[in-house]
Amino acid sequence: MMKTQSKNPSDITGIVLNIQRYCSHDGPGIRTNVFLKGCSLRCKWCGNPESIRIKPELSYDSQKCKGKECSICLKPPFPEGAFYFVEGDDAKVKVNWTLAMNCTEEMASLCPTGALEMYGKKMTVNEVLDEVEKDASFYRSTGGGMTISGGEVMLQPDFAAALLKEAHSRGLNTAIETASNAPWSFLEKVLPNVDTVLHDIKLMNSERHKKWTGVGNERILANFKKAYETFPNIDFIARTPLIPGVNCDDEHILGVLEFIKPHKNVIDYELLPYHRFGLGKYESLGVVYELDDYKTPSDEVVKRYQAMIDEAFGRKAEP
Amino acid sequence: MSKSKKRIALMVGAGFVPAINAVVKGSGLAASKLGWEIIGIRDGFEGLLHPDHYPDGGLVNFSPQLIENLDPSAGSVLGQSGRIDPFNVRTINKDDMVEEVDMSDELLKRLKEEKIDGLISVVGGMGLSILYKLHLKGLNTVCVPRSVENDIASTAVSFGFNSTLTLTIEMLDRARKAAQSARKIAVVEVIGEQTGWLALQAGIAVSADAILIPEIPMDMKKLADKMKEKISIMRPYGLVVVAEGAKVIHKTKKKEFVSSLKATLSPLATEESSSEFVIKSSGKAAEMVATELQLLIAEETYPLVVGPWARGGNPSAVDRQLGMAYGAGAVQAFNENKKGVMVSFIPPEIKFIPLADAINKIRTISADNEFLKIADSIGIYVGKEGN
Repeated sequence: MMKTQSKNPSDITGIVLNIQRYCSHDGPGIRTNVFLKGCSLRCKWCGNPESIRIKPELSYDSQKCKGKECSICLKPPFPEGAFYFVEGDDAKVKVNWTLAMNCTEEMASLCPTGALEMYGKKMTVNEVLDEVEKDASFYRSTGGGMTISGGEVMLQPDFAAALLKEAHSRGLNTAIETASNAPWSFLEKVLPNVDTVLHDIKLMNSERHKKWTGVGNERILANFKKAYETFPNIDFIARTPLIPGVNCDDEHILGVLEFIKPHKNVIDYELLPYHRFGLGKYESLGVVYELDDYKTPSDEVVKRYQAMIDEAFGRKAEP
Repeated sequence: MSKSKKRIALMVGAGFVPAINAVVKGSGLAASKLGWEIIGIRDGFEGLLHPDHYPDGGLVNFSPQLIENLDPSAGSVLGQSGRIDPFNVRTINKDDMVEEVDMSDELLKRLKEEKIDGLISVVGGMGLSILYKLHLKGLNTVCVPRSVENDIASTAVSFGFNSTLTLTIEMLDRARKAAQSARKIAVVEVIGEQTGWLALQAGIAVSADAILIPEIPMDMKKLADKMKEKISIMRPYGLVVVAEGAKVIHKTKKKEFVSSLKATLSPLATEESSSEFVIKSSGKAAEMVATELQLLIAEETYPLVVGPWARGGNPSAVDRQLGMAYGAGAVQAFNENKKGVMVSFIPPEIKFIPLADAINKIRTISADNEFLKIADSIGIYVGKEGN
């Protein structure tokens, strides 16, 4: 987790993975998503592996590599043995990820083709918001704004809190995406300037939650319950990444509905059918994907659970 | 290191390989003969880094009696860990958040606390890099190469390969008979994400019709033409052997297909890729080749996967000998004061290769390899020009 920073709120820095404009699925209207780096869970299906570690890290795109004619990464300051060629191969450099893990941003910047790049960079609150405000006219016309996503927003609580406060002072609507595996004191810092919270409930069974994400869910569920009660003016939207063999069952869906329904400020429950779009990123990070034997849920199954949710929220199910 | 009495530890890296106990026994017997003490670390480095997780403290004292009675045909008495990288240990921090931390200093400290003079590390290709990095930090280690794919370059044979080859041949024999009775083409996937040694050698042993390996991208149209030639009314069946990491020049996509995630990470996977179809799980290579082939010829095909089945089982006679030799060789390395080396079998000798020379090399099948010539000479299609 990032250390507490005591300086002018606008100068507080965080590690930002990406700023994505024109998003429409993570809160009301057209939005700009700010992805923070670092996550406190290790979901085996994670579609954003580049967001997991809080520190900036190296990525490699072999398609951009010029190969032997360049070879700059085989010499200092790059770590010895971190990059190499294989005899008889087609001249693209290979990465020994064990030896390359401490490569710095300065080293990556030496790569002339951009085959080596860093995921994540340090930014101030003002730098982020200046980028976000470029689409202020869209936000005004659509009711949109800024969504902080991750990784896990709660891993950088001071930065996130300052970013949200400053966004509100500039008149921007704010939303966060969170799984909230963090101490309550972090949520207390972040939530006061949030309009909408999109929060994951991955598994209701704690033992299984630990198996698939690395930790149990007791604190997460306690955080959500306390957040619903402490911040009645925030709109909460529960979400589940639906994964066959993990949580794609009646028990989980009904369990979530039972958990959220007593709270009037939980305005919806969304299903996110599991997809594998992030798999190529594992390759660029030299990380092995742990969930390669699972399939996406069928349309039929998704429709059935959506009908259960619509009924619980008193909506007419789509035909 | 002096030649006085030593205390040597042994750890086993991730992934099961038959004959690990033979290495334990070989090193234990050789250490006993020198009057040295040998202990085992449970589950990779876990037993050392997290002794509180184990009722026996995570370390196993290999007494001469225990070593004497250790069954070399059994699996690893030490267990294994899915992850052995001490630079990158997944932990739960004080805030109950998951994070990866560098515990390499802690590991070296624990080895010192346990008064361990040297570490025998039974590891595969990635493990060699990790142990090299630890060696650079001062760890006195001797590595034993283990690989069911036989992809470690600085040794002629890694232990574990021969057992896997033996079992793969047995399974291919069965697949062949099943295909014969079903009058279909069996497309059988075998282990081999980075190299095709198992597919090639097992395919030759059972006289398969075609063998697809990562080193030679296969044109599906040419494969279909070859299979048409081979199948007749008198021989209405076929057997195609496919390595997990086989690359196929895709009929419809017009580019090479890499069948598994690990294959995309391999040193040989450099073709243009897009994530939606390049990364697949093991078992998909056979499925893809069987489907493509069936679309190109008027024969029925069906996929079978030997893969994980061949990782288990008893070690072959060769691997039992090799395991014992590698284990004894590791002790010999310590006795000769070698540091940061890998035990290598370069027939007829056991040699010690510096880890710096052992990493970043993959033992692949070259275009002029003798096994490819043998396959060609007995009519097996391997995708080479003029084959």
